[in-house]
Amino acid sequence: MKLAEDVAIVAFSQTPSYAQFNNSEPAMIMPCVNSVIEQAGIDRHDIDFTIAGSSDYLSGVPFTFVMNIDAVGAWPPVYESHVEMDGAWALFEGFVRLQSGDIDTVLVSGSGKCSPGSYREGFSLQTDPYVHAPIGLDPRTQAGLQAQALIAAGQATERDFAEVVARSHANAKNNPYAQLSGEPSVEELLAEPYVQQPLRRHDCPPTSDGAAAMIIARADKARELCDSPVWIRAIDHRIDSHHPTLRDLADSPSVRIAADRVGLHDGPVDIAELTVTYSPEEVVLRRALGLGAGTAVNPSGGPLTGSPFMAVGLTRVIELARAIRNGDGRRGVAHASSGPALQQNLLCVLEGDG
Amino acid sequence: MPTLHDVDFILEYPYTRTTGPVIGPFLTGLRDGRILGQRCGARVLCPPMEFDPDAFATLAPDLVEVGPGGEVVNWTWVAEPSAKHPFDRPFGFAFIKLDGADTALVHAVDTGGDAAAMGVGMRVKAQFRDERHGSIADVYFVPEADAADQAIEPGEEPVTITEHLISLRIQEPLYPHRARFAQGLLDGKIIGQRSPVTGKVYVPGRGYDNMSRVLMDESDEVEVSDVGTVVAFTELNPVQYYGQTETEPYVRCSILFDGTDQPVIGIDIRDMTVDEMRVGMRMRCIWRDPEERSVAEIDNRYGNVPETVYARFESTGEPDVPAEQIKEHSW
Repeated sequence: MKLAEDVAIVAFSQTPSYAQFNNSEPAMIMPCVNSVIEQAGIDRHDIDFTIAGSSDYLSGVPFTFVMNIDAVGAWPPVYESHVEMDGAWALFEGFVRLQSGDIDTVLVSGSGKCSPGSYREGFSLQTDPYVHAPIGLDPRTQAGLQAQALIAAGQATERDFAEVVARSHANAKNNPYAQLSGEPSVEELLAEPYVQQPLRRHDCPPTSDGAAAMIIARADKARELCDSPVWIRAIDHRIDSHHPTLRDLADSPSVRIAADRVGLHDGPVDIAELTVTYSPEEVVLRRALGLGAGTAVNPSGGPLTGSPFMAVGLTRVIELARAIRNGDGRRGVAHASSGPALQQNLLCVLEGDG
Repeated sequence: MPTLHDVDFILEYPYTRTTGPVIGPFLTGLRDGRILGQRCGARVLCPPMEFDPDAFATLAPDLVEVGPGGEVVNWTWVAEPSAKHPFDRPFGFAFIKLDGADTALVHAVDTGGDAAAMGVGMRVKAQFRDERHGSIADVYFVPEADAADQAIEPGEEPVTITEHLISLRIQEPLYPHRARFAQGLLDGKIIGQRSPVTGKVYVPGRGYDNMSRVLMDESDEVEVSDVGTVVAFTELNPVQYYGQTETEPYVRCSILFDGTDQPVIGIDIRDMTVDEMRVGMRMRCIWRDPEERSVAEIDNRYGNVPETVYARFESTGEPDVPAEQIKEHSW
């Protein structure tokens, strides 16, 4: 990917994944925003552009996204934008905005509170309003159909799904932000009842509230603000049909295109932080991304261990940036998804400094 | 005595959508007991589309009847139906390739609760509901052997509009600062939050000072006066939008309570006309009797000082505050 401007992550922050955060969404975001401003050592008025991702349907209040601006301290007025999507798409817009070269810094955030409502009901409204939404075609149902498609294609078994869950929970033991963790055995997991055959409860995400924030900057500014910038080498997002029956659910053409566009295999892929909201999605993503044994997948535990929708994709980017900064790897990919059954996919390639 | 409550409400948006030249006949067909597909070259698409999903070219409407029998090509079993699903008991969602169609329709299959009946290759047949409105929910599927013969009386006018009431139930506790504010009202007190950075007092507090970006908690809370100054007012002439409960004009004002820096907006006045209102008027809250107070309409976002806690606001008899002194608070 040929860039007009090199862009780096200079600061990041996330809340724990809460089963229920008993306060407002701005109160959840505010500590993240304060943290990244402090890390960058700047005044909030030095931020050139602010962008957030969130969903009013989740919190159940019209114009939640406007109230959320309270968290960034929007007086005097700031130059601001919003996407009704995961914060990873806010990052995409912020990255593109920096390519114009006239501003230096962007504050990106993502937040969501799933606990007050039913995400199955709310997110069924993302589907076709004539032939899907009126029958409540929900994301968990579409995940179940994707799982069955994988099984029918001979690409996975229920044991494979359980292995994804067992590894995710074990990885999350080292993640202070995770909501679930442990060392369940595959046999224990397979003994649980179905909630969405062939999926069991643990194949689905927990109900989570949470927020994440990040400051990205153009190259010169990034070096000024940060000793160890993590470079965004490429970012791309692609979408498949919103009619699941027109898709091969056992594959993800949009992921393959995005992987090609970001030059995923132009270098080693040490770490992959993937938005595996349902365990079968890891099977699809590993194949579509062409990941081998040399890639650590979801060392954070991933969304199966904490899934604050609208922050969870941006959190993948943060988890990858942290791992690179900690020296766990030098180059990796973060993935975010939107829509049911991996309908829309964003890839972001990060690389350490030097 | 009245007590606090959890937040529990239904967020609703009534959507109406035009159906267009392909979905319109499809939904009309469902109302009339028929399933239509759209020709796309040599193929038939069901659900029908206005475009070729591979070539992304517009398709002229060319509908053909498919089904009512079909074959399951993918399925999942819903052990815990959501409130929006077609059935309130366990059922299957399936990709159903209807006889005569080349693409599959996602729909619900009722096997009487038997998950083991589901499978790829299973034969199913459409069943139509007694009440049909020109909606995808007019139809569902059952195992072919269980299908009943149905005599469907066609409707008259074509379906050109669909109505979809989006309705989401939201449940959560009152946030701690909201609960303390609401309890204050039940106790006949107005509770504000004083910013630890600027000293400004906000009523009701939001749990943070958005100017200084600091969180605030119980230690920042202060009881403020129930006497204040009208800083803005208007007359509301209720537009009869969806959910509107008001029918007659009334006065709504904002009052800056003494010792605070932010007016409480949305205070409704029923016993004065808009002609009797003045910016700068000094007003006192006359509370309802304690057992008559309610904060039921206070949730985590809406509800400041509601009419359900006060009987009225009355003039203190003091001279008006000059507008110049309160222009910072005119909202």
